[in-house]
Amino acid sequence: MLEILENNWLLFLVGQYPHGPIGGLTMTLFMAATALALCFPFAIALALARLSPYRWLRLPATAIVHTVRGLPLIMFIFWTYFVSPLVIGRAIGGVETLIIALVVYEAAYLSEIIRAGIEGLPAGQVEAAKSLGLRYWPTTFKVVLPQALHNMLPSMVSQFVSTIKETSLGYVISAHEVTFAASQVNNVLLTQPFEVYGILALTYFVLCFALTSLARFIERRTSSGRGGAPGVIVAA
Amino acid sequence: MIRFENVDKWFGPMQALTGVSGEVGRGEVKVLVGPSGSGKSTLIRTVTRLETIQGGRVLVDGTDIASRGVDINRLRQRVGFVFQAYNLFPHLSAIGNITLGLTKLRGMGKAEARERGLAELARVGLAEKADEMPGRLSGGQRQRVAIARSLAMDPQVMLFDEPTSALDPEMVGEVLAAMKQLAASGMTMICVTHEMGFAREVADEIWFMERGAVLERGKPAELTSTSAHSRLQAFLASTRHGGSAA
Amino acid sequence: MGYVFDLRGVLSGQYLDWFVIGVATTLALTCVAWCLAMAMGIILTLIRMIPLPPLGWFVALYVEYHRNVPLLVQILIWYFGVPSLLPRPARQWINAHHGEFLLAAIALGLASAAYIAEDIRSGIRSIPKAQYEAARSIGFGYLGAMGYVVLPQAMRIAIPPLINQTLLLFKNTSLAMAIGVGELTYRTREVESYTFKTFEAFAVATVIYLLISFGIMALGSYSDRRLKLETR
Repeated sequence: MLEILENNWLLFLVGQYPHGPIGGLTMTLFMAATALALCFPFAIALALARLSPYRWLRLPATAIVHTVRGLPLIMFIFWTYFVSPLVIGRAIGGVETLIIALVVYEAAYLSEIIRAGIEGLPAGQVEAAKSLGLRYWPTTFKVVLPQALHNMLPSMVSQFVSTIKETSLGYVISAHEVTFAASQVNNVLLTQPFEVYGILALTYFVLCFALTSLARFIERRTSSGRGGAPGVIVAA
Repeated sequence: MIRFENVDKWFGPMQALTGVSGEVGRGEVKVLVGPSGSGKSTLIRTVTRLETIQGGRVLVDGTDIASRGVDINRLRQRVGFVFQAYNLFPHLSAIGNITLGLTKLRGMGKAEARERGLAELARVGLAEKADEMPGRLSGGQRQRVAIARSLAMDPQVMLFDEPTSALDPEMVGEVLAAMKQLAASGMTMICVTHEMGFAREVADEIWFMERGAVLERGKPAELTSTSAHSRLQAFLASTRHGGSAA
Repeated sequence: MGYVFDLRGVLSGQYLDWFVIGVATTLALTCVAWCLAMAMGIILTLIRMIPLPPLGWFVALYVEYHRNVPLLVQILIWYFGVPSLLPRPARQWINAHHGEFLLAAIALGLASAAYIAEDIRSGIRSIPKAQYEAARSIGFGYLGAMGYVVLPQAMRIAIPPLINQTLLLFKNTSLAMAIGVGELTYRTREVESYTFKTFEAFAVATVIYLLISFGIMALGSYSDRRLKLETR
């Protein structure tokens, strides 16, 4: 196992760069971060639309969220792959495809987190802002969202972890990320698939577990002021 | 019936009960009063071993409840406990809350248990609410169902842990009425409560507790009229429940 | 652009058959994996109730592994990795008996079990200790209090999240296409590559996925409304 790692760590880390495109873990992180950053405005818009008092805003947003929740990510990847040539006139690569599909997919899930965050705020906050004479947009962007986003920080880190895991689908469409890199190593070695994919799993585990622990740490810090959890039942 | 002998209870480094002794005879009603945190609730919780004690003994009918031979679940069936927060089971109807113990612990048939449950509900004036879910009952009604739930197990003693403290003022009366009726029927009771009117009317003896000890005990008339103890007088002056309830 | 959207080409003859087989395989994979996940989830919950620290660590490690490693990677390990550790006759048996379906079901089921165990646990944790105490006060023992009072309430709380897990499991069966399981996504690509009717083929698959997902979601929100208890 160590020997595989010694001979291929660069491939796991950056793919074939500098002799080819950047790939590996670097690309995995780049794709996840880019997708999450790009989907953020869409997610906020979807969340606000779902909470809107106007039906013509609420219904389409609800439909979008439910549709995305009802489809496997891989369907979005294929749709992106087939539709984007029609839109921009040329075929796009695996990395772009995956990022676009993830933006759509994550926007829906993130919007649900943001919506829950907004709904979780005490009603008094909006009422206080209104009674100061603030209109909808200042109330939303100066009072509601800053608090909601602060409370949501742990969920956002978890969402980043989900996104990292989802980039592994690059394997299916040959986008050069770390799972694809591992499959290339496996194709060269042929005889040690358990070790190769074991290294891959361990890589993801270390990365994602660290982030998950960070999310839990933030959650404990933010919730410590809100009183304890209900009592835990233990054996008598 | 119940004897406390030098009961000590620690919560970590904090002593909740310090050498509490006392006796509750058959058919007697004792009312425990005192400021919050004085150990009243802790004391009655030791009787059914909801709290374990570190020193002394608690005896029910002459048996040390901590001794090896005691089947604690049997004992708990004989000692009814009514909580401040009712603790009805929200997934069961009013009657379901009452029959659960009858069918699963007493092995009673469904029809018989229901009949018994209805009788208990009638006793607290709630027969027509038998099939309501707890979520649809008022606080006072919930607490009366909780009392009926305990009574259905044929307890020899009933323990009340501030049964009216979580209630809106207008509902206190109905619960106290049920408790008075129970006292009149000769039930042995220990009640933790701030309702001094109830205490004066029903209690055979009032125990005044502070900082984990019984500072004073006596008949309601003696304790509340003559200036027996400055701490008690200060406490009585601070509680303004004196005349509530019918 | 001269492209005519025409479903007839992909919804007739052998292509229709492929879709039907694909849906059947997806549903079969969901069912087998679901049963495995439920069984394993309950076993993990029971193990966690035993007050013995190493057992708790084992369950924690199990849960963390399955939640922090991408499902696709878990599937690849089961498909490429695990058989390579087995003796040759076992490997031959797997190859001869559509091992990819079985291995995909194992991977999906074991991963889902980690989430199910967490859902059940948080259901139990959300029941106030006072409920347990009240049951003990009536005279129930540990098992009676858990069985008649705590677990029935915990299950009500856990069922909506469990239905959501079922939805995720159903969607995740699409990952099995990566190891050649002939489920809906895999068959769709087959139809597409034979007919070149890309949009039609994927439209059919999309509609099928959505219909089944919406069914599961409807069940979820129904149970959510139905099982909610008024407290306080």
